[in-house]
Amino acid sequence: MHRKALILGLLASSLATLSFAAELTVGSSNMTSYIDPGKDHSNVGSQFYYNTFDTLIDKDHSKADGAFVPGLATEWHMVDPLTMEFKLRDGVTFQNGEVLNADDVVFSFNRMFQATFAPYVVRAKDRLANFTKAEKVDNLTVRVTSVKPEPLWETLINMQQLMIVPEDYIKGLSGDPAVAEDSDYEAFGLAPVGSGPYKVAEFIPGDRVVWEKFDGFWGEKAPFDKVTVKTIPEMATRITALKNGEVDIITNLPPDQLATVESDANLKTAGMVTPLFHLVIYNTLNEKMDDPKLRQALNLAIDRDTLNEALWLGKAVVPDSHTMAEFGELYMPELKTFEYDVEKAKALLAESDYDGSEIRMDTSATYYTNGFLAMQAIAEMWGAIGVKTSINVDDKWTGGDPTMNVRNWSNPMYFSDPFGSFGVMWAPGGPAEGEGRFKADEDYAEKWERFRFSAKVEDRKAAYAELMDRIENDPPFLVLYRPFESWGLRKNVNWAPFPGHIPYVLDFRAGSITID
Amino acid sequence: MLEFALSRLLRMLITIFVIVTGVFFATRMSGNAVDFLAGEGLSADQRETMIAYYGLHSSIGEQYWLFIRSFFDGNFGLSFLERRPVATIVMERIGPSLQLLVGAIVVTLVIAVPAGTLAAIKRKSWLGSTIMGAAFLGYAIPNFVLAILLILIFSFWLGWLPSSGNGSWLHFIMPVTALSAALIATLTRYTRNAMLDVLSQDYLRTARAKGLPEDRVIFKHALRNALITILSVLGLQIAGLAAAGNVVIETVFAWRGIGEMLVTAALRRDYPVLQFGVLSVAVAVILINTLVDIAYGIADPRVRLSRA
Repeated sequence: MHRKALILGLLASSLATLSFAAELTVGSSNMTSYIDPGKDHSNVGSQFYYNTFDTLIDKDHSKADGAFVPGLATEWHMVDPLTMEFKLRDGVTFQNGEVLNADDVVFSFNRMFQATFAPYVVRAKDRLANFTKAEKVDNLTVRVTSVKPEPLWETLINMQQLMIVPEDYIKGLSGDPAVAEDSDYEAFGLAPVGSGPYKVAEFIPGDRVVWEKFDGFWGEKAPFDKVTVKTIPEMATRITALKNGEVDIITNLPPDQLATVESDANLKTAGMVTPLFHLVIYNTLNEKMDDPKLRQALNLAIDRDTLNEALWLGKAVVPDSHTMAEFGELYMPELKTFEYDVEKAKALLAESDYDGSEIRMDTSATYYTNGFLAMQAIAEMWGAIGVKTSINVDDKWTGGDPTMNVRNWSNPMYFSDPFGSFGVMWAPGGPAEGEGRFKADEDYAEKWERFRFSAKVEDRKAAYAELMDRIENDPPFLVLYRPFESWGLRKNVNWAPFPGHIPYVLDFRAGSITID
Repeated sequence: MLEFALSRLLRMLITIFVIVTGVFFATRMSGNAVDFLAGEGLSADQRETMIAYYGLHSSIGEQYWLFIRSFFDGNFGLSFLERRPVATIVMERIGPSLQLLVGAIVVTLVIAVPAGTLAAIKRKSWLGSTIMGAAFLGYAIPNFVLAILLILIFSFWLGWLPSSGNGSWLHFIMPVTALSAALIATLTRYTRNAMLDVLSQDYLRTARAKGLPEDRVIFKHALRNALITILSVLGLQIAGLAAAGNVVIETVFAWRGIGEMLVTAALRRDYPVLQFGVLSVAVAVILINTLVDIAYGIADPRVRLSRA
């Protein structure tokens, strides 16, 4: 009798364990090589940060223009025009048990603001250049100082690059435990620790991330005990794994496979228009491409709606300018920077100095979804107005190559403001100018400065409209569309990418996902 | 014997040196790695910062000197992408690749040698034709097509086998099948031809005339003589597979092996991984060839005698 009871008891307890051991498995098309929010801004890496790390100021990601909400800071206010003070949440610990206090915040911020480690230097320069330092006031109070009055305090503090990391843990990873060395940062990327709801239990670069629920999380606890993201690079294998029940979610489902997944009674898809633009860019300083009329003609000759129908089943969004709803108050759908007009294109081409020679179009074979196909279609469209082209498939980035004529590129939204997309990519001295394919003159720089730093939203919008005028009349690029990204799911998984995140974030926090 | 071993060793070292030097310079001739690693959107000074970070700011000569020195101090550097020692990365990958390779070799030997022998003995019957027909089919289907077909049938439709990964013995069935199909086909054909060759020799007639039972004639006299050809072919095929020949299978089945690692490293210009990976594969191929040579000696005492 005792034995029977014991067996029944064991059975019941193991069943209880089974029913509560909530697990999720994701089949991903790619995997990051490191997990360090400070040095990363890639579309691959962005999948992995939000579950592990916190920012001082969080955001309601359920809406495209969601409000900022307290994160690791409970309140914040300006103490003078250049200084913001943050009150930190009390009683927060990192996943390794260390208490999170002002020292960690100062360390996390200053490793970026005053960066010496090359990957931080590069990331900080294009978006954090206006911040000089973070200082500790007391154990739970931090002040951050800017060079010029900053109109985007919350937006920038909410950025992935300013997620909070543990100072003592990082310093102790190699060499002198009192000093942050480059080797400490390298080691951190392989053994990350944050304060978010999931701790990284296993990370094999290029292969898998295994998260476990962090019971000491300060907010609502994670809905899963364990989440595994494993790489399945081949699309057919990924879909099969989903159908077989080996995984619950798959990433990177191409448009032509949506019907395959949706036709299965146990599966469904989730998708969203990604906060990212695919672009055609021109080397405006190359002698073949230096006539604005030629580039205007090329822009006018591209039928972007047809590209959308043919390549994205009409699910992508073709914007009239470099703008999207995720920019919040700075969203400007009224701007008409790009249009399709073949006749006007032909007229401008005739007026231009185009000599009938071949224009080289560079593209990687697979990097941008549908990128190669889009380039082939565009070559046909340009051919229709009399422009000769040759397509050069090369995985090497040629944006800085002086012989480059035309290529594809993407402008992701690194944070929810036009500064986080156009503003970073097309800043005076930014990537486009730095690579020598675009020149920002004084007038452009003045407009950019007003757009970036004006205190009033209206002034920023007016300056942005002026910048878009410049882009229209002397185009260094054309926005093709915002791609539609899809995920495949088992039917019992209630998850969809939140529109308030930067592209590709896998958000498995409480409130973001449930399982029936 | 010692002289032979030493000359063999010297040849091995020279071969490895030539291969890794070739890889070192060839990778650097196709542009700066930073354009493949850090990619888009770096301004000129950011690009310089990253070039220095990867240690690519020094001259090719200095980089080559560092590379040569790594053979002696054992420090082969950090992966550009993963920022961890390349030896760790390669070691992680060798195991899964070897498992796949050994699985494919065993399956191949178990199927191809008997099938080829049978096809030779029964060459005029339907059995011989069927075996050779199947071999032709196995040879004609590219392994990636077979891999996708297997996934479609056994995972997608029937749901019997896991579609990817290497967690259990079930995970081995499809990748080993896909990898060994062409190998079985090739080896079956070679075994058949070698056996046909041997079966027409005078000494086989003598063996039969002595009144030996047919199975002894086939297995002791014929097959043993055909083994030299079989070993040569197998050695070449295995060397080919070890040298990243199974990259497609590894990618399709998300099998973290050395082939997939080498291709990724080549595409992203992760020089340290590529250099150490190629070095490891070169050593492996040379070892396999040496093993095949030893196997020759076992199969054919004349080989041993000629080298003694």
